[in-house]
Amino acid sequence: MEIYLYIALFAPLVGSLIAGIFGASKKLLFTGIVTSSLLALSFFSSIVLLVHLLGGGDEIHVEMMTWIAAGELYIPFGFLVDEISATMMMVVTLVSTLVHIYSIGYMKHDAGFNRFFSYLSAFVFSMMVLVMSDNFAGLFIGWEGVGLCSWLLIGFWYKKDIATWSANEAFIMNRIADLGMLIGIFLIYWNTGSLQYDTVFAAAPSLDETILVLIALFLFIGAMGKSAQFPLHTWLADAMEGPTPVSALIHAATMVTAGVYLVVRAHPIYELTPDVSYFIACVGAFVAIFAASMALVNRDIKRIIAYSTLSQLGYMFVAAGLGAYWVALFHLMAHAFFKALLFLGAGNVMHAMRDELDPYKMGGLFKVMKYTAILMIIASVALAGIFPLAGFFSKDKILEVAFGSENYILWGVLWVSAGLTAFYSFRLIMLTFFSDSRYKKLGFDPHEAYPYMLWAMAPLALLAIIAGWFEHQFVEFVTQALPMFTFNVADVVWMLIVVTTLIALGGIALAIWTYRDGPLDPKWERNPIHKLLINEYYIPAAYERCISRPYRELSAFFWKEVDLKVVDYTVDLIASMVYGSGKKTHTMQNGNLSSMLGWVAAGAVLLLLAVIFSSGIQVAG
Amino acid sequence: MFEYILSILIFFPALAAILGLALNKDSIKAYGIVVSAIEFLLALMLWYAYDAGVTGMQFVESVAIVEAFGVHYLVGVDGISLFIIILAAFFTLIGIASLPEMKNIKNLIITLLFMQMTMVGVFAALDVILFYIFWELSLVPMLYIIGAWGGPRRVYASVKFFLYTFAGSMFLLVGILYMGYAYHDATGIWSFSLLDWYESATLPFNVQLWLFGAFFLGFAVKVPMFPFHTWLPYAHGEAPTIGSVILAAILLKMGTYAFVRFSLPLFPDASYYFMVPIAIISIIMIVYTAMVAYAQKDVKQVVAYSSISHMGVIILGTFALNVEGISGAVFLMIAHGVVSGALFLLVGVIYERRHTKLMSEFGGLATVMPYYATIFGVFMLASVGMPLTINFVGEFLCLLGFYEQSHTLTLLAGLAIIVGAIYMLAAFKKLFFGEVTNEKNRNLPDVTKTELVALLPLVVITIWLGVYPKPVLGPIDNSVKPLVQMMHDRAITPEAQAAIASPLVPKEAR
Repeated sequence: MEIYLYIALFAPLVGSLIAGIFGASKKLLFTGIVTSSLLALSFFSSIVLLVHLLGGGDEIHVEMMTWIAAGELYIPFGFLVDEISATMMMVVTLVSTLVHIYSIGYMKHDAGFNRFFSYLSAFVFSMMVLVMSDNFAGLFIGWEGVGLCSWLLIGFWYKKDIATWSANEAFIMNRIADLGMLIGIFLIYWNTGSLQYDTVFAAAPSLDETILVLIALFLFIGAMGKSAQFPLHTWLADAMEGPTPVSALIHAATMVTAGVYLVVRAHPIYELTPDVSYFIACVGAFVAIFAASMALVNRDIKRIIAYSTLSQLGYMFVAAGLGAYWVALFHLMAHAFFKALLFLGAGNVMHAMRDELDPYKMGGLFKVMKYTAILMIIASVALAGIFPLAGFFSKDKILEVAFGSENYILWGVLWVSAGLTAFYSFRLIMLTFFSDSRYKKLGFDPHEAYPYMLWAMAPLALLAIIAGWFEHQFVEFVTQALPMFTFNVADVVWMLIVVTTLIALGGIALAIWTYRDGPLDPKWERNPIHKLLINEYYIPAAYERCISRPYRELSAFFWKEVDLKVVDYTVDLIASMVYGSGKKTHTMQNGNLSSMLGWVAAGAVLLLLAVIFSSGIQVAG
Repeated sequence: MFEYILSILIFFPALAAILGLALNKDSIKAYGIVVSAIEFLLALMLWYAYDAGVTGMQFVESVAIVEAFGVHYLVGVDGISLFIIILAAFFTLIGIASLPEMKNIKNLIITLLFMQMTMVGVFAALDVILFYIFWELSLVPMLYIIGAWGGPRRVYASVKFFLYTFAGSMFLLVGILYMGYAYHDATGIWSFSLLDWYESATLPFNVQLWLFGAFFLGFAVKVPMFPFHTWLPYAHGEAPTIGSVILAAILLKMGTYAFVRFSLPLFPDASYYFMVPIAIISIIMIVYTAMVAYAQKDVKQVVAYSSISHMGVIILGTFALNVEGISGAVFLMIAHGVVSGALFLLVGVIYERRHTKLMSEFGGLATVMPYYATIFGVFMLASVGMPLTINFVGEFLCLLGFYEQSHTLTLLAGLAIIVGAIYMLAAFKKLFFGEVTNEKNRNLPDVTKTELVALLPLVVITIWLGVYPKPVLGPIDNSVKPLVQMMHDRAITPEAQAAIASPLVPKEAR
């Protein structure tokens, strides 16, 4: 079995290196095919491992070699395949393989074709390290690795200023969170003497409560960066500057869920810190509605889906925060399928519309892009949580968890968010695919995507439909590694389902009715609420004004005013004083015997006095 | 067979430099490469012969110089100095190999070989007077390199460099003499052997404070620590590429190395006493100079200020006073040497082509020079501490180590990973991203074979030691453990004894 572990882990790296060799050469179809095949191999190995575990096999734990050993610190490259990581591996490799195949078509005319596949496979490798490591330091390697690949891929079209700006923003914002994560790691090490999951989790119950709370909080700060939770959320929408397959893979299905994975993985710690967990749930619920509200008015199809991702991540954190770890993982998986599908569909639309992103300029695309439209509608229905698609099972479960654990406010927030989700999803569908064909006036000539791109999307569509049906098996499987979450909503469960489905259907219906004739009257845009939402609550502007600009100005001030005019000036001043005193006193040695004798006498008196005084002090002392 | 290897390592380049005077300028470069290659091979043999399982000094040689005052030619290495010596030999080799055509190249190569003697000497010396001699001698070749091959303000920069570090060293010399006197007072014999000093009784606390201060001034200017750092941007700004590479990769490490070798074991109580103030200075170095780096318009100044910022992390790790932190600090000295040396070489590459270092003159170079951009990217990532690069190992251990001493200060020092990313990514964006706007950059040639010869080995080291640091970290760790044990044993105040935990007692037992 170990061999499958290594194949699953290293096949993407090999692919990345092969493609990387041709990074600066002309487009070679070969690099796309090799990386995709190696990923398929990795997917196959992950499935073998999953089947092994499903069949009741033991978890697989290997230690490849030492990484860092100093003092008492010992960090190996160790990997662990248990129910949690096997699930993640399956999701990651499956979505990655499909996105790779899709990208062969999507990036067909791009000069950086080879480079793209090298980065994309490197990302998958990092993500596998993240989910497979058996210790916090290994997780951090993957954590930083995915951050690096995200930087490379957001800024993939590096000639565009906005793309590289967004890449840097994402990297730096993630670094802020990573500091929290690093501090969490330090706390773990100095309190348990190890970074290995098994040792740390075994030691956790005996730790001081304050320490546990701090560990839980700092790790969650790390999670907030990668999963773009408020207030570190602004980078995710800007990350949409990257190629769309990247948005599908990294900024929807996999990397952004790393934070959820971390909380799920560290559940023995979070179980011991109910207050922190509750805080996580509250942050999650807030982000769920906050992000959904911004998606209501946006005029950029990718940003709408990005806000939707944020909102869904909020749902996952609610589940994880309330202790329903398997529910969080379940929604993570289902979301990965339908959200990747939605993004790839958006990619088809962008291709057809020559990178136009404003749905106001589209409309009526259903006629020319029937398959894409159907796939996106499937994804949207799944996202909205309509029976019997995946979102119904996973998202409803989270609402049930909130209700069943008597967190009615959280439930209410999520319930409203579910309505918003349905509304913005179908607003997007309506504006893009239905009503009048506004694109014709603007001179666009849209076309359907290549068949194999659609075929790459088909498995995701299938999973978006059926993934929820395996809830029972899923629970049984992952609760071998995760605690079972028990709550009693049996008496109200049908009512909850009806209420939630009603608001979702209501949202869909409202969206269809509102946008049946295309965009709303522009007078709506003068509405202050609309202004607030379209400007993302003025948060990006506030960050620029209150953080970025002061930082720039302070940096310039430190350089020009402090470093040059104070610190360095003082040094030069001391030097010139030394020079100056030399000039003034050189008359002492003027060669005149009598005056020089005078100085000698004066010096001797001074020295004598010094001796007398210092010895006097000694005697006195 | 290896009995005299250290002496050979020290004096072979100097001897070769003298012989080189007889050569003409056409053959001098080949000669320089051969000599430094032999020296590098000797350094590798030293590593090969070094027994990582043995604690204490190895390859020790001792010859009396001034018997009456106990001054000896006493040299030896342990894990702490071994790799810095190898690094010095390595950088001299690739520095000479990558030298472009320039005026007076013969003088330059002879100076570099002479400089190599002083560098190896500093790290091998175990007699404090001998150390001081090499320490001061090392200033002369660098003064000459900046003053003779530097930019327009080279004289100002070189004099500033020389006088500033020299002034700091005066305090160091007074401290050394006082230590020698105190040793004589206590034992009745004169000795300047560091090994003897290690064995002697610890000085009283208030004396330690004064001596720590005197040594500190000497070392802090060299590192350079805030607020004694302003000579460095001038020196880098004016120095030719080779000067900056050697300065950043090796010379700055003399200061941090000396803290580990002298200040910590000789003055353990003072080290503990000054731990917090020094940590605060480190944090200022990390954050403040990173911000100053962000404000720079000249890419070489970005790298120069980033050096100061990283040296802050090294100092912090050193004053963690535990094995994790000090091992991390010594490892980061190597790591920073490799990465900052490489970055200065890289800056030199575009300077050679365009004779400007202003970032506004560039932009879009990723299109024109893709290989150059990739290599620069690797070192940029190493510089921001990406895991699996050499820097991460050191930085992680430094911060981890200091966390035992103070949570809050480590949190502040941890800002390094944020502010470091800010200036590096900004500089990278200015140089490489965007469209090519300046016509002069349109046809710049990518890295040449000569440049690759210098850069590729550094790429390999950066990744190799990031993935598998053990060959270097292991010996370092083995030598740091007895050092910390010695500090623990030598400490006289109860606070310091408690704070400096013996590495022999496992953590659970404490």
